[in-house]
Amino acid sequence: MTKKKKSIISDQRFIVLLVIIALSAIFSIMSKEFRQYTTLLSMLDFSYYDLLMAIGVTFPLITGGVDLSIGTGMVCYALIAGTMVRSHGWPVAAAMVLCLVLGIAIGALNGVLIGIMNLPPFLATLCTCMITRGAGSLCSATPWPGLTQDGGWFHTIFKITVGTGRSASRYPIGFLWMIILVLLMEFVLNHTKFGRYTIAIGSNKEAAALSGINVKFYHVMVYVVCGLFVGLAAIAYAAVTPTVQPGTGAGLEMDAIGGVFVGGVAATGGYGSVIGTFVGIFVIMLLKTGLPYVGLQANWQQIITGLVLIIAVLIDIIKEKKKAAM
Amino acid sequence: MEKLKQNPIVKKLGLNRILLVCILILMFVVFKVVLGSKFPVGDSIKSTLNYVYFLGFLSLGVTFVIATGGIDFSIGPVMFCCALVSGYCMTSYKVPCAAAMVICVLIGLAFGIFNGWLVSYLSVPPFIVSMASMNIAKGIASVFTKTQSVSWPLASDPANGWFRNIVSYKGFPVGLVIFLGAAIICGIILYNTKPGRYILCLGSNTEAVRLSGVDTKKWNMLSYVICGVLVGIGALFFVATYTTVQPGYGDQYNNEAIAGCVMGGTSMVGGLASIGGTVIGVFIISLLQQGIMAFGLGKGQQMIITGIIVIVAVYADVSARRRKN
Amino acid sequence: MGDVILTMKDIDKSFPGVHALDHVNFEVRRGEVHALMGENGAGKSTLMKVLTGIYQKDSGSITYKGQEVAFHNTREAQDNGVVIVHQELNMVGDLTVAQNIFIGREPKKGIRVDDKKMIEDSKKLFKDLNIEIDPREKMSNLTVGKQQMCEIAKAISHKAEVIIFDEPSAALTEKEIADLFVIIRDLREKNLGIVYISHRMDEIKVITDRVTVMRDGGYVGTLITKDSTKEDIINMMVGRVIYEDPKEHSMVAPDAPVVLKVENLNAGKMVQDVSFELRKGEILGFSGLMGAGRTETARALFGADPKQSGKISIMDKQSGQLKEVTINSPQDAVKYGIGYLSEDRRRYGVVVQKSVNENTTLATMEQFTSGIFINKAKEKEVSEKYIKELATKTPNGDQLVVNLSGGNQQKVVIAKWLTRDSDILIFDEPTRGIDVGAKNEIYKLMSKLAAEGKSIIMISSEMTEILRMSDRIIVMCEGKVTGNIDISEATQEHIMDKATRNIN
Repeated sequence: MTKKKKSIISDQRFIVLLVIIALSAIFSIMSKEFRQYTTLLSMLDFSYYDLLMAIGVTFPLITGGVDLSIGTGMVCYALIAGTMVRSHGWPVAAAMVLCLVLGIAIGALNGVLIGIMNLPPFLATLCTCMITRGAGSLCSATPWPGLTQDGGWFHTIFKITVGTGRSASRYPIGFLWMIILVLLMEFVLNHTKFGRYTIAIGSNKEAAALSGINVKFYHVMVYVVCGLFVGLAAIAYAAVTPTVQPGTGAGLEMDAIGGVFVGGVAATGGYGSVIGTFVGIFVIMLLKTGLPYVGLQANWQQIITGLVLIIAVLIDIIKEKKKAAM
Repeated sequence: MEKLKQNPIVKKLGLNRILLVCILILMFVVFKVVLGSKFPVGDSIKSTLNYVYFLGFLSLGVTFVIATGGIDFSIGPVMFCCALVSGYCMTSYKVPCAAAMVICVLIGLAFGIFNGWLVSYLSVPPFIVSMASMNIAKGIASVFTKTQSVSWPLASDPANGWFRNIVSYKGFPVGLVIFLGAAIICGIILYNTKPGRYILCLGSNTEAVRLSGVDTKKWNMLSYVICGVLVGIGALFFVATYTTVQPGYGDQYNNEAIAGCVMGGTSMVGGLASIGGTVIGVFIISLLQQGIMAFGLGKGQQMIITGIIVIVAVYADVSARRRKN
Repeated sequence: MGDVILTMKDIDKSFPGVHALDHVNFEVRRGEVHALMGENGAGKSTLMKVLTGIYQKDSGSITYKGQEVAFHNTREAQDNGVVIVHQELNMVGDLTVAQNIFIGREPKKGIRVDDKKMIEDSKKLFKDLNIEIDPREKMSNLTVGKQQMCEIAKAISHKAEVIIFDEPSAALTEKEIADLFVIIRDLREKNLGIVYISHRMDEIKVITDRVTVMRDGGYVGTLITKDSTKEDIINMMVGRVIYEDPKEHSMVAPDAPVVLKVENLNAGKMVQDVSFELRKGEILGFSGLMGAGRTETARALFGADPKQSGKISIMDKQSGQLKEVTINSPQDAVKYGIGYLSEDRRRYGVVVQKSVNENTTLATMEQFTSGIFINKAKEKEVSEKYIKELATKTPNGDQLVVNLSGGNQQKVVIAKWLTRDSDILIFDEPTRGIDVGAKNEIYKLMSKLAAEGKSIIMISSEMTEILRMSDRIIVMCEGKVTGNIDISEATQEHIMDKATRNIN
């Protein structure tokens, strides 16, 4: 029994949860505005796409790879799909499907480059990052339909508004979907072949191949799943961004990848959890939302997320070193 | 083909490099033939050279890092950070131009030390360090300049216009001389000095070098430091040619610099680097950008094409290595 | 012995520059244990890799259960009942034991993997094999021996008809080997065909029915074990009788000073309270089972891995007195005149993509530089001197090390330390992966170095090597020194007894 107790306290996810509580407390004490419900609402609104990207990129990171194209990819799909709605009269539902299809396609491209052609993951995805960014900037700035416009129903996936005007009460239903997706993917990671082989690739690819696993296929699939989630993220991004701007999206991958590392994925792969990613992302989101309330302007966030990423990875490296020394 | 490879002159110059030069010339001819008057020879050469100057320094820098088997794709944003912060010092704090130039290089040096320290002494994977310092560089630049663009003095500026002489002096391409000089120095460092030897060796097998009693961490870090300094110098050439810098950008040059380096025959796996190849690679990439623009295509297409080129170049390297083993 | 289940005929396989298998023949019958023997690099593992589909043969035929087959990957071989227990453990450390055993063929319950069934089945497997391992344990938490047992359990769970054991005993304790033999005999009873690759002559006599010997990628012959002697087999393995007798007595002068004294060295689990002395001109053999902590001791001593405590003293060249030194990194060790020649040359010894010259001067760059510039002419001169002295077979010093054979790569590493003028050389498995002729050369070289006054620590798993080269033998077991034997008193039995002392 004592063994179990110990493991909860040493579980990074638990520690991260404490960090979240501590951060919320600090921000709440320091700023009255932060304590408002609307702050929570807007933080949740903006967390969905980050979280979706993070869930997706958790899998490549567990294999010891990375996907740097998630940020620009997401913006690119939102732009292309949005253009279809605006200029070609596509229904929003079709545009949403297009987002997913594009996500899967670029994911598959990444997968083939990395899993089959053996390119280094960071380099292959750095290229697809540039390619999606370039492709995105060929579109023009695109507003998806607003809430009250034709096709605006898709906003209700993430937020249900009851009533109108000032008295309207809004419910962040998206949060529920997120929890369901996180639990689903945690299940996939721990209880399905796909998840198991993802871990196996990250831990010992040679051994996995010698065990008769079709390593190439699963390696590609890891990036396809990541791509699918980036596609989902594109929808969530369109829902909170009044007008998606071409050429943006670089740097968004940082928040997602930073969150995953905060959540406890091993820097060299082989271990990770989607629930960890979930709590990790909220550390990043809290910083992003809370810092402006305590007087740090928006650009500081970039610096701070950069440092958070390094610190999270350093903690993992130090932990591994300690383990090795034991 | 085999016969050609054995030819002493070819052997000396390297078949790959000869082929690259041919590609460069061929590209130029094709652009001229297809585009005609939209591709004026003189202007095109000039704008290609302008591009070569700053990109060349980035490429030379990242060649050292890639030679150790690492990677640095924060170089673009770091270059912008150098140019912005030092430029802002000059425009807003009245720091003299010469001092600002020194600051510019020092900021590059600082990032090099930061990256190198994290990678070699704290063993953070290079791609994570790159991601983090890319963001940090952008963040610092924005915070420092309050998200304003910064303009360096024009050539007509009586007090500080002189600094543009580093690019050209009365029509003479000083920049080209400086760049080629820097490339030669880099080549000497890499092939004929102790640090260079260690950098190349630890790129192919860090453990073996460490067990030979070499301080691998120090030399690994040095590669990032050299890269940082060269990026700082690259920033100077950038502002000397393009004058105005905006915060929040610079990512695209990562890929272009890495493209030039990998195309020139520096292996992503480490241990194999060619400074000569990098130089030619940078010329090809720069000419390509001019060509793309002359075709009337924009930034978007540029990024897509460069992305594809890097993929092809790296794949060629990876599969060549696999065939060897 | 039953009927023939597997026949490999005229198998030929080349890699660039190496004729790895030269028309090899091999057969296995049901209900026999068939030993496959040969020196390192004789082609045993390659032959088995061809059989299990890891490599594809260039020519020849494989007949399995009366049909010609060509497996394209391990999966296909497994599905047909041909399973290999690898020499290098092929386990995914981050997964549990049960997950590893059933990897690639997990039982399913809907879309989820049925972990419960996997754990139950693993328990059953372990029970049949009489092994106690918790299937829920993470693989990386098990000892090497236990991991090996899991690997065997995995092989058996494939409903195998032919099982190949590739040096299974290298990592096992005496008790574990005994257990393994019980399992193997049991499998033989069940009419399986078993291929047993090993170096240990005693095991071969105990467990196998027939022996096939390979040499330099070729087939030499097949013997019935009980009708042949150890010498027969050895002669077939080495081709000519070069099996030299063990050293009779120490070659070290009785008054030779101590050059290295290690006291109570501790580094992790594998190095506990290790103390020993090394004298000038001595070859000190380190014997023990795989995983006994010998390499770890050497690496800790050399500063390659961190240590917790311990006192290291080295003879000061000027005063001739022992002086305590601090060694926290290989740089320190090199500074005090220690050189380390790793068992895995390609990973830890040479920089394969660089030239012989560059490798030779790697530890002594400062001798070849003026300022920061390298004096390439001097580099070449010194390197070529050693090429001649050590008879390294290379066209010239500019040759990339990757193109040299194992023995010659080892010579390049030796040259590196000689350039440094290191007085203490640690040879970790000096002849692993080196062919017979070159082996002798390395032995001669080591004896010569010792005679010249260099002191040598030699870690070796080959008993013949230990008995032939050492002046004194330190035996280790589970991280502790269990024996310190003078060569005049050393016998194989004596050493094995000490090497398994801590166990049971």
